[in-house]
Amino acid sequence: MREFQFARPGSVAEAVREADPGTAFLAGGTTLVDLMKLEVMTPGRVLDINRLPLRAIEATGEGLEIGSLVRMRDVATHTLVRRDYPVVAQALEASASGQLRTMASIGGNLLQRTRCGYFRDVSVPCNKRRPGSGCPAVGGENRMHAVLGTSDSCVATHPSDLAVALVALDATVRLRSRTGERTISLRDLYLLPGDTPHREHDLQPGELITAVVLPRLPWASHSIYVKVRDRQSYEFALASAAVAVRRERDTIVEARVAVGGMGTRPWRLAAVEAALAGRPATEASYEAASARALDGVRPLRHNAFKPELMRRTLVRALLELERTR
Amino acid sequence: MSVSPIGRETARVDGPLKVTGRAPYAADYHPDGLVYGHLILATVGRGTVREMDVSLAEAAPGVLAVYTPFRSIRIINDFAGRGAENYTVLQDTTVRFRGQIIGLVVADTLERARDAAALVTAEYTSTTPRTSLADSGPGTSPGAEQVLAPGVGSIDEALASAPVTITTTVSQHAQHHVAMEPHATTAVWQDDQLTLYCGSQGPQRHASAIAASLGVEPAKVRVIARYTGGGFGSRVPAWNEAKLCAAAARALGRPLKVVLTREQLFTTVGHRSAVRQTVRLGAESDGRLIALSHESDAEMPAVAGWPLMPAEGTSAVLYRTPNIRIDQRLVTLDTPSTWAMRGPGEAPGAFAVETAFDELATRTGIDPVELRLRNYAVREPLGGRRFSSKYLDQCYRVGAMRFGWDRRPRRPRSRTDGDWLIGMGMATAIYQGGRGSSSARVQFRDDGRVTVASGTSDIGTGAWTMLAVAGADALGLPVAAMVPELGDSALPPGGSAAVGSGATASTVPAVQAACRSAVTALIRAAVENPRSPFHGLDPADVRYRQGRVSSGRRSMGFRDLLRAMGVPDVQAVENTEGIDRDGPYAFQSFGAHFCEVRVHRLTGDIRVSRFTSVFDVGTVINARTARSQLIGGIIWGIGGALLESDPIEPDGRYAAANMADYLVPVNADVPAIDVHWLDHPDPQVSEVGARGLGELGNVGSAAAVGNAVFNATGIRVRDLPITLDKLL
Repeated sequence: MREFQFARPGSVAEAVREADPGTAFLAGGTTLVDLMKLEVMTPGRVLDINRLPLRAIEATGEGLEIGSLVRMRDVATHTLVRRDYPVVAQALEASASGQLRTMASIGGNLLQRTRCGYFRDVSVPCNKRRPGSGCPAVGGENRMHAVLGTSDSCVATHPSDLAVALVALDATVRLRSRTGERTISLRDLYLLPGDTPHREHDLQPGELITAVVLPRLPWASHSIYVKVRDRQSYEFALASAAVAVRRERDTIVEARVAVGGMGTRPWRLAAVEAALAGRPATEASYEAASARALDGVRPLRHNAFKPELMRRTLVRALLELERTR
Repeated sequence: MSVSPIGRETARVDGPLKVTGRAPYAADYHPDGLVYGHLILATVGRGTVREMDVSLAEAAPGVLAVYTPFRSIRIINDFAGRGAENYTVLQDTTVRFRGQIIGLVVADTLERARDAAALVTAEYTSTTPRTSLADSGPGTSPGAEQVLAPGVGSIDEALASAPVTITTTVSQHAQHHVAMEPHATTAVWQDDQLTLYCGSQGPQRHASAIAASLGVEPAKVRVIARYTGGGFGSRVPAWNEAKLCAAAARALGRPLKVVLTREQLFTTVGHRSAVRQTVRLGAESDGRLIALSHESDAEMPAVAGWPLMPAEGTSAVLYRTPNIRIDQRLVTLDTPSTWAMRGPGEAPGAFAVETAFDELATRTGIDPVELRLRNYAVREPLGGRRFSSKYLDQCYRVGAMRFGWDRRPRRPRSRTDGDWLIGMGMATAIYQGGRGSSSARVQFRDDGRVTVASGTSDIGTGAWTMLAVAGADALGLPVAAMVPELGDSALPPGGSAAVGSGATASTVPAVQAACRSAVTALIRAAVENPRSPFHGLDPADVRYRQGRVSSGRRSMGFRDLLRAMGVPDVQAVENTEGIDRDGPYAFQSFGAHFCEVRVHRLTGDIRVSRFTSVFDVGTVINARTARSQLIGGIIWGIGGALLESDPIEPDGRYAAANMADYLVPVNADVPAIDVHWLDHPDPQVSEVGARGLGELGNVGSAAAVGNAVFNATGIRVRDLPITLDKLL
């Protein structure tokens, strides 16, 4: 860990005023502190934002607004989240460990860094960590890596379960910077790696996520998150699926589908959604629609199983969702 | 009448200290003037360090010294003794594997040492290392061993004559011990006397290794390892970090502490070799073996290490067969040193042969338990000796009954529960169960307690409690009256190291002998000491029983007796010999594992849903810690089957050198495990009849999981770990 300056701003205005390009915001610290110890992140300045008043969960006309400092556990156990957005509660409960969920914030979760082993090892090149140095993962041990949204510069998987659920729900994030406030779709927050994998999101230097908004979507109460992984807890997804379905009798009217463990960012599958709409709610429909998930996949040497696993995970999620009715 | 604690449930005597954080581990010592070291590791796989720039590090705040191959510190090669690695750390510029130590930075705080280490840069001339076992051909054979029936010319001939043959090739990558406590050393010199605090499986061996590396008399080194947070083999040798720590502390004239980071552990401490094995079985159509061949090619680092021999502890001692051949070859690679890891050869070996047996059962249509009973051995198939005591057949039968083996689906992939495929598998456990030499000191004290000391180690196994139980049993006193001592090289020489599942089986007889001698010494003192009420009596007329010394109507507890005599304590030391390894008996512990798994029909997730294991280990000393050991071994087997694996890359980098990427089971992966043992004391091993069990649970358990996965899915995965992508 390198030396850094430390401050604890008392207001959002102060936090964004103090922040410069070399600044890292510290919330739960469960990613940042790890990466600072590994010297993967060496911020000159750390602003502890835990005193900021961003800890409320409020039902508004738009939906449910969750302050960015609310802890993962507190979102996962919130009555309205559990009732209206089970996919979110389940994604959170499938994440990390109990200890980490108690520490980690919602805003931090959305900005957590990839688990790519090369990114986290400063003794090897990584375009995300040291732009232009190369990507050992493309030809290396890439079983966990992405098959969607990759480039020759980076194949790192986006690690967040929560983000997958939120992208399925069209969630938005409220941002605050020196220049003012804005609200953007969470999907638009994440950038594809392209030639610039070190640029992971569309945030201005010093811009802070102040809240996540789950839009009103009454049929989101019929939603599910299925996570498939090597061990049954405390492990990132090989494949995950966030699915919400609106049915009328035995017909699917509308669906929301996103997958995790597959993409360089949380991946919404509009083609699968379209293929589900208007179809009977049967395993055959799920099989047919999930085949559309394979559009554009680019498997690597050790993760050729991932597209098929993604397809099966979708079928499983749709079947399990059906049983919750 | 006191009840012997042998075989009963005794809570760990060190438990309260450990759960309240009062048990000091190696890194918990903070002597005055302590300074801190941080290692620098090579980042190329093979080559030479051309130069290192240490100027920034030396100028960094608090830095006291930077040692490199160019500015080294003298360490002597101790490989001829019990050293793991054949080179000497920091004595030359050669890089033999990626992650080799090439520097040590010492500073006044841990943080400053670590920060300064990050400022050191190294320039290398590098060549391509040999790292891939998969791409290597057969290794060098130390010599195959075989027994052929009269008239049979070769094992191949025997196999060719068999109506049924099975060929199974299995492989696994490197595995790491990753004990919970990272390797740590605190070195304190006083004049020319070194006290070294470190985790150790054998403090006395450790002290002699360190002394040899430093060029000092063994008596000048005291190793204290009272609490050791896991060993599993990785704390048998003294590794380079301990030698460097001791040498640098001497050079600097300051106490020094070096703690390895978790990532550093993966290359500076030995791992279990990657290994590829082929088992060939030839059998009659009724399943009776005609021939068994077990060949292996195991990673053997160029820097040396533990030679992984998977057949000699499994195929060579498991099943009756008229023809058997084992060939355990070693492949030289430029990898970090290897060392024994729990069930070192036996765990991988059992996966190979017990997978092959499952395939034979499938092929012949014979139930896997019945197949094993049909090939039951009463003698070693290769060595020819009888077993000292063997009730493996009962393990199979009792285990099958407890588990409900009769409900096993006969056809693979034929039972489901919703979206889950259900399968059941079984396998045999076997591990050497002999006993080595040991020593113990027993001391009656005038505070009414008894010290029971032995120069062994407790690596989480329960040795503290074992000493207390053995002493309490031998002296007819409560366990609470015992004061155990271990983990200190200054204890009487000859203590048993915690290796080969032998510490308990070896040490209990020594404690019993020392207790008998201490009683004799107490009676002798009682008749010789003029202040004793027994003074002048014939020792033959004085008895000891349950803490009391008596003769006729006179009776006195030992505490009061010692006080009356004005003697603070009476003690005795005894050494005991091990069993004769070349004697008439083969000593093995046995067991049978039964496992049920559930595999998701769509996504292949594997969940171990039930596990039952029955063991034949002779006498159990402490039921609670024995069960804990056996369960731990089974969990290790589950991890070995499903999770634990570290692929190595062409440049020598381990792909999973941290605990986020190197997966071990978590609670959610482990079902309730039903462990049971038979009660058959081994009359040949010792008076108490206890054989070892520490590694036994780990042997065969991975095969039981794999065989259950096959039964569930019809898919045989031979390359470990069995991950869900292989079941899609």
